[in-house]
Amino acid sequence: MIDIQDLRVRFGQGADAITAVDSVTLSVREGESFGLVGESGSGKSTVLRAVSGLNDEWTGRIAVAGAEQGPVRQKGFYKLCQMVFQDPYGSLHPRHTVDRILAEPIAIHGLGDADARIGRVLRDVGLGPAFRFRYPHQLSGGQRQRVAIARALVLEPRVLLLDEPTSALDVSVQAEILNLLRRLRAEHGLTLVLVTHNLAVVANLCDRLAVMNRGRLVEEMSVEELRRGAARQPYTLQLLRASQGYDRATAESFQDYA
Amino acid sequence: MANNKTADDTPLLEVSNLRVAFPTRTGMAEAVRGVSFTLGREKLGIVGESGSGKSMTGRSILRLVPSPGQVTADRLAFNGEDLLAASPRRMREIRGRRIAMVMQDPKYSLNPVMTVGRQIAEAYRVHSKAGAAEAKRRALEMLAAVRIRDPERVYDRYPHEVSGGMGQRIMIAMMLIPDPDLLIADEPTSALDVTVQMQVLAILDDLCSQRGMGMIFVSHDLNLVASFCDRILIMYAGRVVESCRASELHAAQHPYTRGLLASLPRIDEPPGDLPVLSRDPMWLEA
Repeated sequence: MIDIQDLRVRFGQGADAITAVDSVTLSVREGESFGLVGESGSGKSTVLRAVSGLNDEWTGRIAVAGAEQGPVRQKGFYKLCQMVFQDPYGSLHPRHTVDRILAEPIAIHGLGDADARIGRVLRDVGLGPAFRFRYPHQLSGGQRQRVAIARALVLEPRVLLLDEPTSALDVSVQAEILNLLRRLRAEHGLTLVLVTHNLAVVANLCDRLAVMNRGRLVEEMSVEELRRGAARQPYTLQLLRASQGYDRATAESFQDYA
Repeated sequence: MANNKTADDTPLLEVSNLRVAFPTRTGMAEAVRGVSFTLGREKLGIVGESGSGKSMTGRSILRLVPSPGQVTADRLAFNGEDLLAASPRRMREIRGRRIAMVMQDPKYSLNPVMTVGRQIAEAYRVHSKAGAAEAKRRALEMLAAVRIRDPERVYDRYPHEVSGGMGQRIMIAMMLIPDPDLLIADEPTSALDVTVQMQVLAILDDLCSQRGMGMIFVSHDLNLVASFCDRILIMYAGRVVESCRASELHAAQHPYTRGLLASLPRIDEPPGDLPVLSRDPMWLEA
């Protein structure tokens, strides 16, 4: 479904240039849920933004659903592939009602039948019709993230790109959103790409994952291997140890991997 | 509640029936509703979700609740001294010197137009009679104590020139240089990567055990608190619903605590729906 080859992203000019993503190659199968894991600055979000068309300064090859993608995307691409962002407080227009937020993508793509589509997608994400004419400030963080997911789903895409979709939420709300994403994936046959720093979230929602560090792909593994702690690279093992809570001796053993 | 007395038998901090309320158009909104605990020279974790009142509890100890918030308590005493009765002048002496606070995000807590070294040295000079050279020497020592590799170089940096993890270490250096007895850390590592988080916690851990400092660690991360602290208070809707030894968190009794623990995804469990917390209105009263 998604095929990335030798992807490079550089920011800045001349001596100040940084390579944020360095020759990353990976592919995500149709219907798969794929996790992209790493610490801040590892380039995981930059990969996602290049795939989604939000960043056009890249080299390499990106193909989505068999179609080669250039730096600038056609409108049809967004019907196929949608994105959900980390911060539901920042990603919804504060002066638009939920109804207007959801109506906009329908109008852009000229789909028609907006009323029925909005009603359906709101039910899909577990928000009743009562939420339809509310403003974002009248919703909780979890409800806002449901609206953001609804906005992505209203176009009935086949691929959903998720950039830290639960890290701004409380753990009890995170559980609700993870359950929702699992159900939506099963019902709509979605392909998910989930960017996160949280290995436990990946273990819960994904089939396969890739670990990134400093712009490079460190290792790819199945979630089954992650669960057994069967990582091969020392960086991944360190990340696994760090996720298991505080331990004085473990903290001492950490090192920087370039 | 466990009663951890210090050697001289006065607890470092006594809090009894602490309440924080904010006036709103529809009456008083209570953010903290009757919290009581005592603290010795130990690491106490306060855990809860957003809006549970955990940060307000930490802030009210330093009397940093913003106006028009109102703080009341039957007793709020530090080393036997009543903090609610202390004059503003006395509070300024206590803040920083005796009780220090580390906030979540170093980006907003450091002065952007002053080098980090001067900020740390200033923190020392405000609370001691040291001269500039002595303060600089102490600041460099402190930077080394929080394991910054090249203190001389970092001393002359501005906050925007350092990474998040280093910024948080600088904040900790600044808070610890007056050698406080109690450190209140409000989500001190939540903005950091997991490996950096562990390293910053190790620094706090060492400083606590070496200096015999007490610490209140406010966090939303149950597993982290359980592995780092000695004792835990779990807050819900402004109240402490449960307190336990950190090592016994997995055996917690209150349905809220149990629900929070169950809703956490785990690496070693197969994928599947997570139990969702259903909130019982009874918890508001319990």
